[in-house]
Amino acid sequence: MKARRAGPRLHALEVPLEGMSLLIPSASVAEVVNLSTLTAVPFSEPWLLGVIGWRTLAVPVVSFEALLGAPTPGGRAGGKILIFYPMSGRKDWEFYGVLATAEPRPQALDGSQPPVPEAGLPNSSYIASGLKIDNRSMFIPDLVALQKAFYP
Amino acid sequence: MQLDGVSYLLPSVAGFTIEQRENLVTNKSPDGNVVAWRSVRSTRLPAYCLDANLRVTRHQQWHRAVFLDAKPQAVGLVAVEVQLLPRAETVISPFTPLGLPPTRAGHLFSGAWVTGNRVILVFNPEALTSYLQSLGEGA
Repeated sequence: MKARRAGPRLHALEVPLEGMSLLIPSASVAEVVNLSTLTAVPFSEPWLLGVIGWRTLAVPVVSFEALLGAPTPGGRAGGKILIFYPMSGRKDWEFYGVLATAEPRPQALDGSQPPVPEAGLPNSSYIASGLKIDNRSMFIPDLVALQKAFYP
Repeated sequence: MQLDGVSYLLPSVAGFTIEQRENLVTNKSPDGNVVAWRSVRSTRLPAYCLDANLRVTRHQQWHRAVFLDAKPQAVGLVAVEVQLLPRAETVISPFTPLGLPPTRAGHLFSGAWVTGNRVILVFNPEALTSYLQSLGEGA
């Protein structure tokens, strides 16, 4: 079998969630912070867990599990919030957070990682694709679909 | 203002009037969404009692009502405590909640006052008014 050719390295982060992991570009994350008190936002979507104070901003924190239709995980000890830079075309203060169950782990991608077959992907428009790393499936979020959900 | 133990801010750009409880006519019936009315000439302006999640509730532990200027008529919100904060004491950051706005006038919040880990959400007056007006008299 022909080995996949290694390409330029891309720095990514594996984001542990309940029962699955996301794979995101490291450069999309501004900071990783400890899970702190979440302030509820009345009448918000079920996937919006609340907001945290970060620097001088209120940053909305999202449960990716809830976006995928799974139950919202409770905040567990060791949980982290990844603060993402604002999405394309949004205001420069529109950071958003995603709740992770543990500290994200760096992953260096070089193009040799095989894709997750279609059948192995979650049935959700919020997942664009996936990669197999160390025999584990990691899923890549669809930022366009997320932006439509966040800012309809 | 404090609603059921949770603080919210109403920006001073919103036109509003704060009324003492004794100046209002309380709803004696346990039914209905309105907790009290303010009588202005021949009209009764409704005031609602909301819990921390901004759902209609009924309790008697309120002392004041804030009436938001609106068309066709003002609408009120009762609170355990209402405090006027000097502008210099508060730094409001812009904030956009994610997802679909719950009112026709948009999201209920348009800013936040962040002090360390504490976040106090700032109402968008137009959306709050729209929400309160949508509550009606109820059963």
